[in-house]
Amino acid sequence: MCRWSFVVTFLTAKRTLFLGLAAGTLAFGQSKPDFQTVVAPFVAQSCAPCHNEKLKTAGLALTVYHDEAAMLHDRETWEKVVRRVRAGEMPPKGMPRPKPETIAAVTNWIEERFETADRNTPADPGHLTAHRLNRTEYNNTVRDLLAIHFQPAADFPADDSGYGFDNIGDVLSVSPVLMEKYLNAATKIANRAIPSDALPKPTRERYSPEHEVNDDGMALENVFDFPAPGDYQLRAAVSGEKDPFRLHLLLDGKEIKTSDVLIEEDTPRSYEITTHVPYGEHRLSARMEPREPSAVELATRERMKVKEEAAYRRAIAKHPEDTKEIAKQRALSHPPTFIDVLEVRGPYNPGPPPLPESYRRIFICGHARGQHTDQCVRTNLAHLARLAYRRPVTDADIDPLCKLVASAHRDGLPVEQAMRIGLEAMLVSPNFLYRIERDPEPNDAGAIHPVNDFELASRLSYFLWSSMPDEQLLTIAGEGRLHKSEVLNQQVKRMLADAKSDALIDNFAGQWLELRNLDSIRPDPEEFPAFNAQIRQAMYTESKMFVASIVHDDRSIIDFLNGKYTFLNERLAKFYGIPGVTGDEFRRVELNGTERSGVLTQGSVLTVTSYPTRTSPVLRGKWILENVLNEPPPPPPPGVGSIDAKAGPLAGTMRQQMEKHRADPACASCHKRMDPLGFALENYNAVGRWRTQDAGQPVDASGTLPDGRNFSGSEQLKTILAADKDKFADCLTEKLMIYALGRGLEGYDRRAVKQITGQLAANGYRFSTLISGIVNSVPFQMGRGDEGQQVTKLVGVGGK
Amino acid sequence: MILTRKHVSRRMLLRGMGTAVALPVLDSMFPALSKASEAAAQTSPTRMVFCYVPNGIDMRNWTPSAEGRAFALPKILSPLAPVQDDVLVLSGLMDHGGMALGDGPGDHARASASFLTGVHPKKTAGSDISVGVSVDQLAAQKIGRATRLASLELGCEDGHLAGNCDSGYACAYVNSISWRTATAPNPPEVNPRAVFERLFGNDENAGDPAARARNARYQQSILDLVADDTRRLQGGLGQTDKRKLDEYFTAVREVERQIEMMERQIATNSMAAPSIEKPAGIPIEFAEHARLMFELLTIALQTDTTRISTFMLAREGSNRSYREIGVPEGHHGLSHHRNDPALMDKVAAINHHHMTQFADFLVRLKKTKEGAGSLLDNTIVLYGSGISDGNRHNHDDLPVLVAGGSRAFKTGRHVRYSRSEPVANLYLSVLDAAGVPTERFGDSQNRLEYLSDLT
Repeated sequence: MCRWSFVVTFLTAKRTLFLGLAAGTLAFGQSKPDFQTVVAPFVAQSCAPCHNEKLKTAGLALTVYHDEAAMLHDRETWEKVVRRVRAGEMPPKGMPRPKPETIAAVTNWIEERFETADRNTPADPGHLTAHRLNRTEYNNTVRDLLAIHFQPAADFPADDSGYGFDNIGDVLSVSPVLMEKYLNAATKIANRAIPSDALPKPTRERYSPEHEVNDDGMALENVFDFPAPGDYQLRAAVSGEKDPFRLHLLLDGKEIKTSDVLIEEDTPRSYEITTHVPYGEHRLSARMEPREPSAVELATRERMKVKEEAAYRRAIAKHPEDTKEIAKQRALSHPPTFIDVLEVRGPYNPGPPPLPESYRRIFICGHARGQHTDQCVRTNLAHLARLAYRRPVTDADIDPLCKLVASAHRDGLPVEQAMRIGLEAMLVSPNFLYRIERDPEPNDAGAIHPVNDFELASRLSYFLWSSMPDEQLLTIAGEGRLHKSEVLNQQVKRMLADAKSDALIDNFAGQWLELRNLDSIRPDPEEFPAFNAQIRQAMYTESKMFVASIVHDDRSIIDFLNGKYTFLNERLAKFYGIPGVTGDEFRRVELNGTERSGVLTQGSVLTVTSYPTRTSPVLRGKWILENVLNEPPPPPPPGVGSIDAKAGPLAGTMRQQMEKHRADPACASCHKRMDPLGFALENYNAVGRWRTQDAGQPVDASGTLPDGRNFSGSEQLKTILAADKDKFADCLTEKLMIYALGRGLEGYDRRAVKQITGQLAANGYRFSTLISGIVNSVPFQMGRGDEGQQVTKLVGVGGK
Repeated sequence: MILTRKHVSRRMLLRGMGTAVALPVLDSMFPALSKASEAAAQTSPTRMVFCYVPNGIDMRNWTPSAEGRAFALPKILSPLAPVQDDVLVLSGLMDHGGMALGDGPGDHARASASFLTGVHPKKTAGSDISVGVSVDQLAAQKIGRATRLASLELGCEDGHLAGNCDSGYACAYVNSISWRTATAPNPPEVNPRAVFERLFGNDENAGDPAARARNARYQQSILDLVADDTRRLQGGLGQTDKRKLDEYFTAVREVERQIEMMERQIATNSMAAPSIEKPAGIPIEFAEHARLMFELLTIALQTDTTRISTFMLAREGSNRSYREIGVPEGHHGLSHHRNDPALMDKVAAINHHHMTQFADFLVRLKKTKEGAGSLLDNTIVLYGSGISDGNRHNHDDLPVLVAGGSRAFKTGRHVRYSRSEPVANLYLSVLDAAGVPTERFGDSQNRLEYLSDLT
């Protein structure tokens, strides 16, 4: 460790000189190649007219780099420069074009300098800041620690995200409100984990989800928790327009009551049955189908109609100026009939519930209920704390917990109830709530070292499971074997096969592909009547299953772009217009002969990149730049504002409107990168359905990329995107690395990223290569002290 | 361990108070808050509420044409008619920190971040967010200790979204207007049930004071223990990690204080009893959601559970659609109305809808008697946005109004200021009125004039 730290310090101090000497040994034409002779003149001639400190076009100023050290420090920027210049995108059309041999010489020299720097400096793994568990991690950790199945973190304040993910240690903070919630959640968890002897009192549980406009409202179901065997009142209530239906109430799929929903004037439409239900979780559902009304009902309906009409007339007569508004309100106040609520009341006459699994996990001393001794307290606490703190525990950890439990016991609580207090303390302890890694030299950024096996176990489990390490991982870590690569790789394989790896798909893909935003998108039901809650859910399931197939079948990551298959049920297949899929179950569907492939043309992605009433080529183009190409567009320059904000009425197709905007040169430079990508998807409307017409005119889905390549439609665009496999691999690697580490990437991480993309290319871009590449990388396996706040960026790049 | 003399005093030391400092005596629902106010024991405490609406306002239908007392309420303000005499419409104020100042786009993030802080936020999408302490939190630090909750942050929209939130600004900037420190936002609580539980407790012992008191004692002991854990952990950590745990430690101390207050309330039998049924969750419709939150807020103020609150009716940049009032398009999308009158009318409809809920809240406060007057007389309620016109994203001529607080302000007027008058000047005056005189705040220049002048 000391040796490393010496080398790094030495290099930092002597970097310029050291690298300067190295450069001097290389031949470059006749002159001595260095930054001043190779890069500076090129920048001055070809880049500086736009990318200077004053203009900072696209947020980039290249004139601020005066030597190689500065260039090496901002590696990402310069890698981008190399890419753009090589691709012929820069300098842009209309500017003098440098000779091809000059371009080759400059870009090769820059790349060679990065490679040399990599060879001559030890890799910097970065430091992981103490990481507060986010809501998902908290829920999953409690679930795996105590086998408790509820979402205690559901009420916690939303976690802030950074770099596109909500598991970034630097960003996750603790407020007094959150602390309050931790304390309350701990009480709730402890009460569940160690139930009291008292039989549960009757409670009321309601389930009444948001009613979506296009949801037909004919079915509602929910899994309820029945805390004890006993009698329960199970109830469904109906709202909306009064029409005749027959309603079926089912428990675990078995019909327990059938009722007619009658047309009656004032009777509440509530249908219930009291029945005995065994302990545990059971699914309560209600279903309705229309039936013929009786003569009495028809008469009632007629009477109600007359009454309502009269009230309406009265209202207009009183406020004639509001006729329109009153009519609107009237229309809104008569939604079609729907099942509004499911409710469970009980238990009445309860029997004793069986001891939960959590009880067995806590009281490992093995005594029967009520027979625990004082010695049990220590044994049980020590056992639980090792799991909760995810590391070996010491007396310093356990003594205070034992004292706390003992004093609660003295205070009059039975041992079991007193253990609750100990459990609560554990769940509020920073040892539980934070993942903290220990550095031998905490304030020396040069003190690089491998993280210990327990820290590695947590890094692994929170990456792949969003949860704590299991017993097997902790045992192997305890034996000091986890860091051995064959053991590590075997564990990764096991963990990915475990159902808990669903978390990787939900949390990583949910944020990378922005699927999580699907919930908050509200397409206009008048414009898109076929879109409803079930379609929304189906879209999410489709994308999730698609990602899961790439992970679990170890497919090529390029499938994300153009995999010619997906997962559909009948509802979504019909929505897409794909025939031959029947039933509610999702299954794999080949997409040959359809207009779809990969994630770009999945309903989820197309919908989250649209506005409620229309598509947005800008949002879609931006999505591709950010999530596929890793080239987030720079924000528009000051004074230009959003393209949507320009004055003047809009007319014509979306594309025509956009092209008008692009006539503005201030917008053109970026939008010519962004918009064509979005235009390619114009055949898909704002909820992802195929269309050939927009505003009465044929859709034009053709475009030209800044480098001059033409395409027409999404398939051709995907072919272009998939052709540069390394570029997509680089993008995905960076995203997954941010997620895996829970921190933003720095210039020094580029080395690891490049290494992994190299491995991907050599292994057919298999997903498993990506995972093992990250897990075996220096940033994942090593740690170092904290650089604190002294280190600031050497140079400023625009936009800050 | 539990509630021995030793531990109580240690906890106080830990809070940096020593045993000599007396805690506020909670022998009534309205505790005395300082020596000064003890003298004026007759007076009810002043409360502060800051309400925020996003995406600017259709100013055509906001700004009254007349100044002074006799002004007609424009369309958006029309719901205020029943309380017009309690309202001060303040035109021409400016949120300087919301301007680009060389940072390019991101006006939404800057508007919400700077509105109550008077500080230009640092442009970052990453970990180094930084703006300033907000006016509510400055007050909470000074007078928040008098109540169980130092402050209450409410909202109607969850901030849980993937991706960057606004042109390279972190989501924290658009999700919160309340900042405890320059780097620590207070995210709003959006679930009415959770707010209810914070006000009245969530344990099954709600009706059993003895059990409640015992729980409070255990919670104190637990907090003692984890505070010790934290100190032990901090040894041998680097600066950043230490800072993270400091944040945790501060939170522990604040919750300890809350529990102490609660213990006293239990002991003196002055714990507020729930006066409404526990809400089931988040209502579907905005109006019902906002109504419930305002009702809970009223209770929190009335029972003196807190004196300081912020309420974001929606996140800044919100794209919520309001179908129920015939506006299915997203709010943010509409606010880029390109001066198309049809779109502007829809923006005005949303503005009016927000204002309707707010006006109901004012009416509720006014109907709540307190001392010789109403709760509204003792509450300074601010309502506004950090953006003026959503299409231009300008931060001058902001839509801002103040209601209530009639002890300090002469309400029932429309006052127009020069366009460069910082909104932070208003905060200095509000802080004065709340008994927290402050000389500088954010980009303030001086106290806002004409608030108590009759014109």
